[in-house]
Amino acid sequence: MKDFFKSIRFKIILGLLAFLTGVMLFAVLKGGYAVSGKSVINTVTQPFRNLSNSISVKVENYLDKLTNATEYYNENQRLKDEIGLLKKQMSDYEQIKSELSEMKQFVGIKEKNPDYEYTEPAKITGYIANDPFKSFTINIGSDSGVEPYCPVVTSQGLIGITVDVSANSSTVRTLLSPDLSVAIVCPESLNSAIMEGYINSDGETMAHLIHLPRDTKFMVGDTLVTKGTGGLFPSGYPVGTIKELIPSENSLSYTAVVEPAVDFSKLSSVVVIKDFSGKEKHNED
Amino acid sequence: MKIKASKEKKLFIFKNSLRYFLYAFIILVCFTLMMSGRLLKPVLLIPASICIAMNTKELPSAFTGAFCGLLIDIACGKIFGYNAFILTVVCTFVSLLYMNYLRKKFINFLLITTLSSLLCSMLDYVFYYNIWEYENAETILHTVIMPVFAYTVISAVPLYLVFMLVNRFLMPERHLTIAEAIKINREENSK
Repeated sequence: MKDFFKSIRFKIILGLLAFLTGVMLFAVLKGGYAVSGKSVINTVTQPFRNLSNSISVKVENYLDKLTNATEYYNENQRLKDEIGLLKKQMSDYEQIKSELSEMKQFVGIKEKNPDYEYTEPAKITGYIANDPFKSFTINIGSDSGVEPYCPVVTSQGLIGITVDVSANSSTVRTLLSPDLSVAIVCPESLNSAIMEGYINSDGETMAHLIHLPRDTKFMVGDTLVTKGTGGLFPSGYPVGTIKELIPSENSLSYTAVVEPAVDFSKLSSVVVIKDFSGKEKHNED
Repeated sequence: MKIKASKEKKLFIFKNSLRYFLYAFIILVCFTLMMSGRLLKPVLLIPASICIAMNTKELPSAFTGAFCGLLIDIACGKIFGYNAFILTVVCTFVSLLYMNYLRKKFINFLLITTLSSLLCSMLDYVFYYNIWEYENAETILHTVIMPVFAYTVISAVPLYLVFMLVNRFLMPERHLTIAEAIKINREENSK
C-alpha cells in the first residue's frame, strides 16, 4: 500500500482528481450551459433513454393499475356499460383529436402573444433521477435557440425555466423548486408576492407565497399570474390558485399554499419561450 | 505454477476485451435505467463501479469511478464532476483494499457498497439540500435520500450476481509463458 502512494499511478489518479475538480468549477461557471462532455453523452445516450423511458412509464402505469386495482375495477364496471363498442371505434379518433387540441392550444398561446418567440413543442425525454422537485429533460436545446433561463410553459400555464442547456436537450427546473422564485400578482386584487417551491412535512412538493403581511388581501381561491417585472418570465401567465392560507408560528405573517396551474405528473409536451418583450438578457460567459 | 504456451496471451487479451465490453454495456444499461420513469430509483452505478473496482487495478478503477460518476451527475442533475470526484476516490480505495486486505466475498462487497452509498447520499443531502436551508429539508432525507440509499443497497445484490457471472467466464487467469517462467525461476534461484 505504501508503494502505491509513491507510484506514478497515484500521481495519475491525483491528476484525474484535479481534472475533475476543474470540470466541476468549469460546469459551475458555465452559466447554465452544459459542458461539452455532458452534451456528447446526452446526445449519444438520448435514443436509449427515450426507449427506456417510454417502457418504464408504461411499466409504472401498469404498476399503478395493479396497486389501485379495486378502485379501477369499480370505475371500469361503471364505465363499461357506457362506452362498450364505441371505445374501439373512438380510440384512434380520440388520439388524433387530443393531439390536434394540444397543437391548437399551442397555436392559441402564440396568437395571444404575438411578440413572444416560441420553440416548437418539445417532448419530455426523462425525469431527473431522485429529484424531489420534479425537474425533467426535454428534447430541444441550444440548436433550437433555447438558452439558459428561458420560461417553459404549456397552454395551462407556467412550468419553470431551462437550466443546463445542451445542443439537443435541456433540463427544466420547475416551479416546485425552492431555487426558483417567481414574482406573481392576483389580477383581481392586484396584490403581488413572491412564489417559491418547497417540500412540506408530508414530503409533498408544493409552491407557496412567502412573507405575506398579517393583513394580506390574498384569499383562498385567488388565481395567480406572473407579474413579469423581473425579466425572467413574461407577465400574465397563469401560475396557480391559492389553496390555503397558513399563519406563521409567530402569527406576524402568512404563507399561502399554491396549487400550480399545471399538473407536473401529467406533462407530455411543453414549449419554451425563447424571447419576449422585457426579457432580461443573461450573460452567457 | 502452470506453464502454458504463448497462445494463452491471445486468449487473455480476448477475454479481457470482452469483459470490459460487457462492463461498459452493464454501465450503459444502469445509466439508462436510472434515467427512466418518474419514481425514485437506486443509483445503480455506485454498486456497478464498486463491482468493477473489486476486480481491477487502481488506475482502471479510478477511471471507471470517474466515468460512472459523470454518468450519475447527468442522470441525477448534479454539477458535472461532483459524483465523478467522489467515485474516483471510492473506487481507487476499494481497488487498493481488495488488492491488499480483503477477499472477494459477497459480504465485503455489500459492506463497502453500503458505506459508499451512505457517503454519497449524505454528501448529496448536505451539499444539495441541507446547506441551502430549504424548508423541511429533513423531509427530503426521509422521503428521498434514505429510500434511494436503501434501493441502492438492495439493487447491489442482483448487480453483484451479474458481475460474478461475467467474471466467472471472462476473468482470465494469468498463465506464464515458458520464457517468463524460466526468468522468474532464475530470479528466485539467484536470491
